[in-house]
Amino acid sequence: MLPPEKDAELRQKIANGFIVETEDDMTPAYKAALEVILTVQGDTELVSAPAYYFASKDAPTINSRLAVYAIIQDELGHANIAYRLLEDLGVSKQWLIYGRAPHEFKHPYGFDQALENWAEMVVANGFFDRAGITLLADVHKNCSFGPWQRALTKVDREEVLHLRHGESWMKRLAKAGGAAREGLQRAVDWMFPMTLEWFGLPDHLKKHNDQLDYRLKGLTNDQLRQVWMSATVPLCDGIGIRVPAHYDSDKKVYEIEYEFPVAYDAKDKRWLFDQALTWQQVFQRWKQRGPMNQTYINMIQGDKNGVFGGLNW
Amino acid sequence: MIETTKIWQALGEVMDPELPISILDMGLIYDVRAQRQEVEVDLTFTAIACPAMTMIIDDVRDKLESLPDVASARVNVVWNPPWTKSRLTEQGREVLQSLGIAV
Repeated sequence: MLPPEKDAELRQKIANGFIVETEDDMTPAYKAALEVILTVQGDTELVSAPAYYFASKDAPTINSRLAVYAIIQDELGHANIAYRLLEDLGVSKQWLIYGRAPHEFKHPYGFDQALENWAEMVVANGFFDRAGITLLADVHKNCSFGPWQRALTKVDREEVLHLRHGESWMKRLAKAGGAAREGLQRAVDWMFPMTLEWFGLPDHLKKHNDQLDYRLKGLTNDQLRQVWMSATVPLCDGIGIRVPAHYDSDKKVYEIEYEFPVAYDAKDKRWLFDQALTWQQVFQRWKQRGPMNQTYINMIQGDKNGVFGGLNW
Repeated sequence: MIETTKIWQALGEVMDPELPISILDMGLIYDVRAQRQEVEVDLTFTAIACPAMTMIIDDVRDKLESLPDVASARVNVVWNPPWTKSRLTEQGREVLQSLGIAV
Protein backbone atom coordinates (compact mmCIF):
# COMPACT_ATOMS: atom_id res chain seq x y z
CA MET A 1 0.00 0.00 0.00
CA LEU A 2 1.13 3.55 -0.78
CA PRO A 3 1.64 5.90 2.20
CA PRO A 4 -1.09 8.52 2.85
CA GLU A 5 1.14 11.37 1.65
CA LYS A 6 1.06 9.89 -1.87
CA ASP A 7 -2.67 10.58 -2.09
CA ALA A 8 -2.49 13.78 -4.15
CA GLU A 9 -0.11 12.06 -6.54
CA LEU A 10 -2.47 9.10 -6.88
CA ARG A 11 -5.44 11.37 -7.60
CA GLN A 12 -3.39 13.08 -10.30
CA LYS A 13 -2.36 9.79 -11.86
CA ILE A 14 -5.96 8.60 -11.85
CA ALA A 15 -7.08 11.85 -13.46
CA ASN A 16 -4.59 11.04 -16.25
CA GLY A 17 -6.13 7.62 -16.81
CA PHE A 18 -4.15 5.39 -14.42
CA ILE A 19 -5.82 2.05 -13.64
CA VAL A 20 -5.43 0.71 -10.10
CA GLU A 21 -4.87 -3.05 -10.09
CA THR A 22 -3.78 -4.14 -6.61
CA GLU A 23 -3.41 -2.81 -3.10
CA ASP A 24 0.15 -1.76 -3.99
CA ASP A 25 -1.34 0.98 -6.18
CA MET A 26 -3.67 2.35 -3.46
CA THR A 27 -3.42 4.82 -0.62
CA PRO A 28 -5.40 4.04 2.56
CA ALA A 29 -8.00 6.67 1.62
CA TYR A 30 -8.48 5.20 -1.87
CA LYS A 31 -8.87 1.75 -0.39
CA ALA A 32 -11.42 2.98 2.14
CA ALA A 33 -13.50 4.68 -0.58
CA LEU A 34 -13.32 1.56 -2.76
CA GLU A 35 -14.43 -0.65 0.13
CA VAL A 36 -17.48 1.53 0.73
CA ILE A 37 -18.66 1.52 -2.88
CA LEU A 38 -18.05 -2.23 -3.30
CA THR A 39 -19.91 -2.99 -0.08
CA VAL A 40 -22.90 -0.91 -1.16
CA GLN A 41 -22.81 -2.71 -4.49
CA GLY A 42 -22.57 -6.22 -3.03
CA ASP A 43 -25.20 -5.59 -0.36
CA THR A 44 -27.66 -4.15 -2.88
CA GLU A 45 -27.35 -7.22 -5.11
CA LEU A 46 -27.58 -9.57 -2.14
CA VAL A 47 -30.67 -8.12 -0.54
CA SER A 48 -32.54 -7.94 -3.84
CA ALA A 49 -32.64 -11.76 -3.69
CA PRO A 50 -35.04 -12.17 -0.72
CA ALA A 51 -37.05 -9.14 -1.86
CA TYR A 52 -37.57 -10.66 -5.32
CA TYR A 53 -38.16 -14.11 -3.89
CA PHE A 54 -41.19 -13.01 -1.86
CA ALA A 55 -42.60 -11.11 -4.83
CA SER A 56 -42.06 -14.06 -7.18
CA LYS A 57 -44.79 -15.97 -5.33
CA ASP A 58 -47.31 -13.74 -7.07
CA ALA A 59 -45.97 -14.52 -10.57
CA PRO A 60 -48.83 -15.08 -13.01
CA THR A 61 -47.23 -18.00 -14.90
CA ILE A 62 -44.61 -20.65 -14.30
CA ASN A 63 -42.38 -19.09 -16.95
CA SER A 64 -42.50 -15.69 -15.34
CA ARG A 65 -41.72 -17.19 -11.94
CA LEU A 66 -38.76 -19.02 -13.45
CA ALA A 67 -37.58 -15.74 -14.94
CA VAL A 68 -37.53 -14.20 -11.46
CA TYR A 69 -35.62 -17.18 -10.07
CA ALA A 70 -33.03 -16.74 -12.82
CA ILE A 71 -32.80 -13.07 -11.93
CA ILE A 72 -32.32 -13.93 -8.25
CA GLN A 73 -29.54 -16.33 -9.17
CA ASP A 74 -27.88 -13.59 -11.25
CA GLU A 75 -28.12 -11.10 -8.38
CA LEU A 76 -26.47 -13.51 -5.94
CA GLY A 77 -23.69 -13.99 -8.49
CA HIS A 78 -23.26 -10.22 -8.73
CA ALA A 79 -23.07 -9.94 -4.94
CA ASN A 80 -20.39 -12.60 -5.00
CA ILE A 81 -18.32 -10.59 -7.48
CA ALA A 82 -18.32 -7.51 -5.23
CA TYR A 83 -17.61 -9.54 -2.07
CA ARG A 84 -14.90 -11.52 -3.85
CA LEU A 85 -13.15 -8.25 -4.78
CA LEU A 86 -13.47 -7.13 -1.16
CA GLU A 87 -11.85 -10.38 -0.09
CA ASP A 88 -8.78 -9.44 -2.15
CA LEU A 89 -8.67 -6.23 -0.11
CA GLY A 90 -8.62 -8.23 3.11
CA VAL A 91 -12.31 -8.05 4.03
CA SER A 92 -13.77 -11.40 5.03
CA LYS A 93 -16.68 -12.54 2.87
CA GLN A 94 -17.97 -14.64 5.73
CA TRP A 95 -18.09 -11.54 7.92
CA LEU A 96 -19.74 -9.51 5.17
CA ILE A 97 -22.59 -11.99 4.82
CA TYR A 98 -22.93 -13.51 8.28
CA GLY A 99 -21.05 -11.22 10.65
CA ARG A 100 -23.12 -8.08 10.34
CA ALA A 101 -26.41 -7.11 11.94
CA PRO A 102 -29.27 -6.29 9.52
CA HIS A 103 -28.98 -2.52 10.02
CA GLU A 104 -25.27 -2.63 9.15
CA PHE A 105 -25.86 -3.64 5.55
CA LYS A 106 -25.43 -0.75 3.14
CA HIS A 107 -28.05 -1.35 0.46
CA PRO A 108 -30.45 1.48 -0.39
CA TYR A 109 -33.60 2.08 1.64
CA GLY A 110 -35.69 0.98 -1.35
CA PHE A 111 -34.61 -2.60 -0.71
CA ASP A 112 -35.88 -2.42 2.87
CA GLN A 113 -39.42 -2.36 1.51
CA ALA A 114 -41.78 -5.26 0.94
CA LEU A 115 -42.45 -6.17 -2.69
CA GLU A 116 -45.90 -7.63 -2.28
CA ASN A 117 -47.27 -8.39 -5.71
CA TRP A 118 -46.36 -8.97 -9.34
CA ALA A 119 -46.71 -5.30 -10.28
CA GLU A 120 -44.19 -4.35 -7.59
CA MET A 121 -41.92 -7.16 -8.74
CA VAL A 122 -41.76 -5.98 -12.34
CA VAL A 123 -41.50 -2.31 -11.39
CA ALA A 124 -38.55 -3.30 -9.19
CA ASN A 125 -36.98 -4.83 -12.32
CA GLY A 126 -37.91 -1.80 -14.39
CA PHE A 127 -36.89 0.89 -11.86
CA PHE A 128 -34.49 -0.60 -9.31
CA ASP A 129 -32.56 -2.69 -11.83
CA ARG A 130 -32.53 0.35 -14.13
CA ALA A 131 -30.95 2.30 -11.25
CA GLY A 132 -28.44 -0.52 -10.82
CA ILE A 133 -27.50 -0.57 -14.47
CA THR A 134 -27.29 3.24 -14.55
CA LEU A 135 -24.75 3.15 -11.75
CA LEU A 136 -22.86 0.11 -12.99
CA ALA A 137 -22.69 1.14 -16.64
CA ASP A 138 -21.00 4.30 -15.43
CA VAL A 139 -18.58 2.29 -13.30
CA HIS A 140 -17.95 -0.06 -16.22
CA LYS A 141 -17.07 2.92 -18.40
CA ASN A 142 -15.12 5.05 -15.95
CA CYS A 143 -13.90 3.11 -12.91
CA SER A 144 -10.23 3.45 -11.99
CA PHE A 145 -10.21 0.05 -10.24
CA GLY A 146 -9.44 -2.40 -13.05
CA PRO A 147 -10.60 -5.68 -11.49
CA TRP A 148 -14.09 -4.29 -10.79
CA GLN A 149 -14.36 -2.53 -14.13
CA ARG A 150 -13.61 -5.77 -15.98
CA ALA A 151 -15.89 -7.93 -13.84
CA LEU A 152 -18.86 -5.77 -14.77
CA THR A 153 -18.98 -6.99 -18.38
CA LYS A 154 -20.95 -10.03 -17.23
CA VAL A 155 -23.00 -8.08 -14.69
CA ASP A 156 -24.14 -5.48 -17.20
CA ARG A 157 -25.23 -8.12 -19.68
CA GLU A 158 -27.34 -9.88 -17.08
CA GLU A 159 -28.87 -6.68 -15.76
CA VAL A 160 -30.09 -5.89 -19.29
CA LEU A 161 -32.15 -9.08 -19.16
CA HIS A 162 -33.66 -8.10 -15.79
CA LEU A 163 -34.53 -4.72 -17.16
CA ARG A 164 -36.16 -6.17 -20.21
CA HIS A 165 -38.17 -8.53 -18.03
CA GLY A 166 -39.39 -5.59 -15.95
CA GLU A 167 -40.16 -3.25 -18.81
CA SER A 168 -41.94 -5.80 -20.98
CA TRP A 169 -44.15 -6.80 -18.06
CA MET A 170 -44.87 -3.16 -17.22
CA LYS A 171 -46.06 -2.70 -20.80
CA ARG A 172 -48.16 -5.84 -20.60
CA LEU A 173 -49.85 -4.83 -17.32
CA ALA A 174 -50.56 -1.35 -18.65
CA LYS A 175 -52.09 -2.81 -21.81
CA ALA A 176 -54.22 -5.27 -19.84
CA GLY A 177 -56.06 -2.37 -18.21
CA GLY A 178 -58.40 -2.68 -15.25
CA ALA A 179 -57.02 -3.97 -11.97
CA ALA A 180 -53.67 -4.92 -13.56
CA ARG A 181 -53.13 -1.37 -14.73
CA GLU A 182 -54.25 0.15 -11.42
CA GLY A 183 -51.87 -2.11 -9.53
CA LEU A 184 -49.05 -1.03 -11.81
CA GLN A 185 -49.85 2.64 -11.21
CA ARG A 186 -49.92 2.05 -7.43
CA ALA A 187 -46.50 0.37 -7.58
CA VAL A 188 -45.05 3.18 -9.68
CA ASP A 189 -46.50 5.78 -7.30
CA TRP A 190 -44.24 4.72 -4.44
CA MET A 191 -41.36 3.17 -6.38
CA PHE A 192 -40.60 6.08 -8.70
CA PRO A 193 -39.85 8.61 -5.92
CA MET A 194 -38.10 5.81 -4.01
CA THR A 195 -35.62 5.35 -6.85
CA LEU A 196 -35.12 9.11 -7.29
CA GLU A 197 -34.05 9.28 -3.65
CA TRP A 198 -31.77 6.25 -4.12
CA PHE A 199 -29.23 8.33 -6.10
CA GLY A 200 -28.62 10.44 -3.01
CA LEU A 201 -27.59 13.97 -2.18
CA PRO A 202 -27.98 16.51 -5.01
CA ASP A 203 -24.71 17.86 -6.39
CA HIS A 204 -25.11 21.40 -5.02
CA LEU A 205 -25.20 20.02 -1.46
CA LYS A 206 -22.29 17.64 -1.91
CA LYS A 207 -19.09 19.28 -0.75
CA HIS A 208 -16.45 16.67 -1.43
CA ASN A 209 -16.67 13.43 -3.26
CA ASP A 210 -13.99 10.76 -2.95
CA GLN A 211 -15.84 8.44 -5.33
CA LEU A 212 -15.54 11.00 -8.12
CA ASP A 213 -12.05 12.23 -7.17
CA TYR A 214 -10.72 8.67 -7.27
CA ARG A 215 -12.85 8.03 -10.38
CA LEU A 216 -14.51 5.03 -8.76
CA LYS A 217 -17.46 6.35 -10.74
CA GLY A 218 -17.62 8.99 -13.45
CA LEU A 219 -21.02 10.67 -13.13
CA THR A 220 -22.42 12.78 -10.27
CA ASN A 221 -25.59 11.90 -8.36
CA ASP A 222 -27.66 14.42 -10.31
CA GLN A 223 -26.26 13.21 -13.63
CA LEU A 224 -27.09 9.60 -12.73
CA ARG A 225 -30.60 10.65 -11.67
CA GLN A 226 -31.03 12.31 -15.07
CA VAL A 227 -29.82 9.20 -16.92
CA TRP A 228 -32.29 7.10 -14.93
CA MET A 229 -35.20 9.46 -15.64
CA SER A 230 -34.28 9.66 -19.33
CA ALA A 231 -35.19 5.96 -19.55
CA THR A 232 -38.01 5.61 -17.03
CA VAL A 233 -40.03 8.77 -17.73
CA PRO A 234 -40.46 8.05 -21.48
CA LEU A 235 -41.21 4.39 -20.66
CA CYS A 236 -44.05 5.39 -18.32
CA ASP A 237 -45.31 8.18 -20.60
CA GLY A 238 -45.45 5.66 -23.43
CA ILE A 239 -47.74 3.31 -21.53
CA GLY A 240 -49.88 6.03 -19.98
CA ILE A 241 -48.60 5.58 -16.44
CA ARG A 242 -48.24 8.81 -14.42
CA VAL A 243 -44.93 9.79 -12.83
CA PRO A 244 -44.11 12.99 -10.91
CA ALA A 245 -41.43 14.13 -13.39
CA HIS A 246 -41.29 15.47 -16.93
CA TYR A 247 -38.81 16.62 -19.53
CA ASP A 248 -38.26 20.37 -19.65
CA SER A 249 -37.30 20.99 -23.27
CA ASP A 250 -36.06 24.55 -22.56
CA LYS A 251 -33.68 23.53 -19.79
CA LYS A 252 -33.05 20.16 -21.45
CA VAL A 253 -33.35 18.29 -18.17
CA TYR A 254 -35.89 16.09 -16.44
CA GLU A 255 -37.66 18.03 -13.70
CA ILE A 256 -39.02 16.46 -10.53
CA GLU A 257 -42.51 17.81 -9.90
CA TYR A 258 -42.40 18.05 -6.11
CA GLU A 259 -40.16 19.52 -3.51
CA PHE A 260 -37.48 16.85 -3.39
CA PRO A 261 -36.94 15.06 -0.98
CA VAL A 262 -40.15 14.46 0.98
CA ALA A 263 -41.40 12.34 3.89
CA TYR A 264 -42.35 8.70 3.34
CA ASP A 265 -44.95 6.65 5.17
CA ALA A 266 -43.37 3.19 5.01
CA LYS A 267 -46.39 1.49 6.52
CA ASP A 268 -48.78 2.70 3.83
CA LYS A 269 -46.09 2.89 1.12
CA ARG A 270 -47.05 6.47 0.46
CA TRP A 271 -45.04 9.63 -0.16
CA LEU A 272 -46.20 12.71 1.72
CA PHE A 273 -45.54 15.20 -1.06
CA ASP A 274 -46.55 18.18 1.09
CA GLN A 275 -43.96 17.35 3.76
CA ALA A 276 -40.57 18.40 2.42
CA LEU A 277 -37.53 17.05 4.29
CA THR A 278 -33.91 18.04 4.58
CA TRP A 279 -31.42 15.45 3.35
CA GLN A 280 -30.27 15.12 6.95
CA GLN A 281 -33.76 13.84 7.78
CA VAL A 282 -33.66 11.46 4.82
CA PHE A 283 -30.33 10.05 6.00
CA GLN A 284 -31.89 9.51 9.41
CA ARG A 285 -34.76 7.53 7.89
CA TRP A 286 -32.28 5.47 5.86
CA LYS A 287 -30.18 4.80 8.93
CA GLN A 288 -33.18 3.54 10.89
CA ARG A 289 -33.75 1.16 7.96
CA GLY A 290 -37.12 0.13 6.58
CA PRO A 291 -39.78 -2.45 7.46
CA MET A 292 -38.27 -5.54 5.79
CA ASN A 293 -34.61 -5.03 6.74
CA GLN A 294 -34.54 -7.69 9.45
CA THR A 295 -36.68 -10.19 7.56
CA TYR A 296 -34.53 -10.03 4.43
CA ILE A 297 -31.19 -10.27 6.20
CA ASN A 298 -32.43 -13.05 8.48
CA MET A 299 -33.52 -14.94 5.42
CA ILE A 300 -30.06 -14.63 3.87
CA GLN A 301 -28.20 -15.48 7.06
CA GLY A 302 -30.53 -18.30 8.12
CA ASP A 303 -29.46 -20.09 11.26
CA LYS A 304 -25.98 -18.60 11.08
CA ASN A 305 -24.91 -20.19 14.37
CA GLY A 306 -26.33 -23.63 13.55
CA VAL A 307 -24.46 -26.73 12.42
CA PHE A 308 -24.63 -25.66 8.79
CA GLY A 309 -24.68 -21.95 9.60
CA GLY A 310 -22.39 -19.48 7.92
CA LEU A 311 -20.47 -18.76 11.10
CA ASN A 312 -19.41 -22.41 11.37
CA TRP A 313 -17.81 -22.85 7.97
CA MET B 1 -45.74 -16.76 -50.64
CA ILE B 2 -42.60 -15.95 -48.71
CA GLU B 3 -39.50 -18.03 -49.39
CA THR B 4 -38.27 -19.99 -46.42
CA THR B 5 -34.71 -18.80 -47.06
CA LYS B 6 -35.88 -15.30 -46.16
CA ILE B 7 -37.37 -16.61 -42.94
CA TRP B 8 -34.15 -18.35 -41.99
CA GLN B 9 -32.29 -15.16 -42.78
CA ALA B 10 -34.61 -13.12 -40.54
CA LEU B 11 -34.22 -15.63 -37.71
CA GLY B 12 -30.46 -15.13 -37.99
CA GLU B 13 -31.10 -11.54 -36.86
CA VAL B 14 -33.03 -12.50 -33.71
CA MET B 15 -30.58 -12.28 -30.84
CA ASP B 16 -30.47 -14.20 -27.58
CA PRO B 17 -31.74 -11.74 -24.93
CA GLU B 18 -28.63 -12.19 -22.82
CA LEU B 19 -25.74 -13.21 -25.05
CA PRO B 20 -24.48 -11.57 -28.26
CA ILE B 21 -25.44 -14.58 -30.36
CA SER B 22 -28.36 -15.17 -32.73
CA ILE B 23 -30.89 -17.88 -31.94
CA LEU B 24 -29.89 -19.47 -35.24
CA ASP B 25 -26.23 -19.76 -34.18
CA MET B 26 -27.50 -21.08 -30.86
CA GLY B 27 -29.19 -23.88 -32.79
CA LEU B 28 -32.68 -23.25 -31.47
CA ILE B 29 -34.51 -23.48 -34.81
CA TYR B 30 -35.51 -26.96 -36.00
CA ASP B 31 -37.79 -26.19 -38.91
CA VAL B 32 -39.53 -23.42 -40.78
CA ARG B 33 -42.71 -23.73 -42.84
CA ALA B 34 -44.60 -21.18 -44.85
CA GLN B 35 -48.03 -21.31 -46.34
CA ARG B 36 -49.41 -18.27 -48.15
CA GLN B 37 -48.68 -15.46 -45.67
CA GLU B 38 -48.53 -17.66 -42.62
CA VAL B 39 -45.28 -18.83 -41.11
CA GLU B 40 -44.64 -21.50 -38.54
CA VAL B 41 -41.33 -22.05 -36.78
CA ASP B 42 -40.31 -25.11 -34.79
CA LEU B 43 -38.13 -23.82 -32.00
CA THR B 44 -36.53 -25.37 -28.95
CA PHE B 45 -34.78 -23.97 -25.87
CA THR B 46 -31.47 -24.91 -24.31
CA ALA B 47 -33.22 -25.87 -21.08
CA ILE B 48 -36.79 -26.52 -19.98
CA ALA B 49 -36.36 -23.86 -17.29
CA CYS B 50 -35.00 -21.23 -19.67
CA PRO B 51 -35.96 -17.88 -18.12
CA ALA B 52 -35.98 -16.12 -21.48
CA MET B 53 -38.59 -18.30 -23.19
CA THR B 54 -41.29 -15.64 -23.36
CA MET B 55 -38.84 -13.02 -24.57
CA ILE B 56 -37.47 -15.26 -27.33
CA ILE B 57 -40.94 -16.28 -28.54
CA ASP B 58 -42.04 -12.62 -28.58
CA ASP B 59 -38.90 -11.60 -30.48
CA VAL B 60 -39.31 -14.33 -33.10
CA ARG B 61 -42.95 -13.46 -33.68
CA ASP B 62 -42.24 -9.71 -33.87
CA LYS B 63 -39.37 -10.24 -36.27
CA LEU B 64 -41.25 -12.51 -38.65
CA GLU B 65 -44.44 -10.44 -38.60
CA SER B 66 -42.38 -7.40 -39.56
CA LEU B 67 -41.44 -9.08 -42.87
CA PRO B 68 -43.36 -7.69 -45.88
CA ASP B 69 -44.93 -10.97 -46.99
CA VAL B 70 -45.86 -12.35 -43.58
CA ALA B 71 -49.30 -11.80 -42.08
CA SER B 72 -48.91 -14.01 -39.04
CA ALA B 73 -46.18 -16.08 -37.43
CA ARG B 74 -46.62 -18.97 -35.05
CA VAL B 75 -43.92 -20.36 -32.79
CA ASN B 76 -44.21 -24.05 -32.15
CA VAL B 77 -42.06 -25.05 -29.16
CA VAL B 78 -40.56 -28.51 -29.53
CA TRP B 79 -38.44 -30.52 -27.10
CA ASN B 80 -37.54 -33.45 -29.28
CA PRO B 81 -34.73 -33.96 -30.07
CA PRO B 82 -33.41 -32.16 -26.99
CA TRP B 83 -30.97 -29.29 -27.56
CA THR B 84 -27.32 -30.11 -27.01
CA LYS B 85 -24.15 -28.12 -27.54
CA SER B 86 -23.63 -29.94 -30.82
CA ARG B 87 -26.40 -27.77 -32.27
CA LEU B 88 -24.28 -24.62 -31.97
CA THR B 89 -22.93 -23.32 -35.27
CA GLU B 90 -19.19 -22.75 -35.64
CA GLN B 91 -19.77 -19.02 -35.25
CA GLY B 92 -21.93 -19.58 -32.18
CA ARG B 93 -19.23 -21.72 -30.65
CA GLU B 94 -16.68 -18.97 -31.17
CA VAL B 95 -18.88 -16.29 -29.58
CA LEU B 96 -19.58 -18.40 -26.50
CA GLN B 97 -15.93 -19.31 -26.13
CA SER B 98 -14.93 -15.66 -26.35
CA LEU B 99 -17.30 -15.01 -23.41
CA GLY B 100 -15.63 -17.67 -21.32
CA ILE B 101 -18.48 -20.18 -21.65
CA ALA B 102 -17.30 -23.78 -22.04
CA VAL B 103 -18.68 -25.40 -25.21
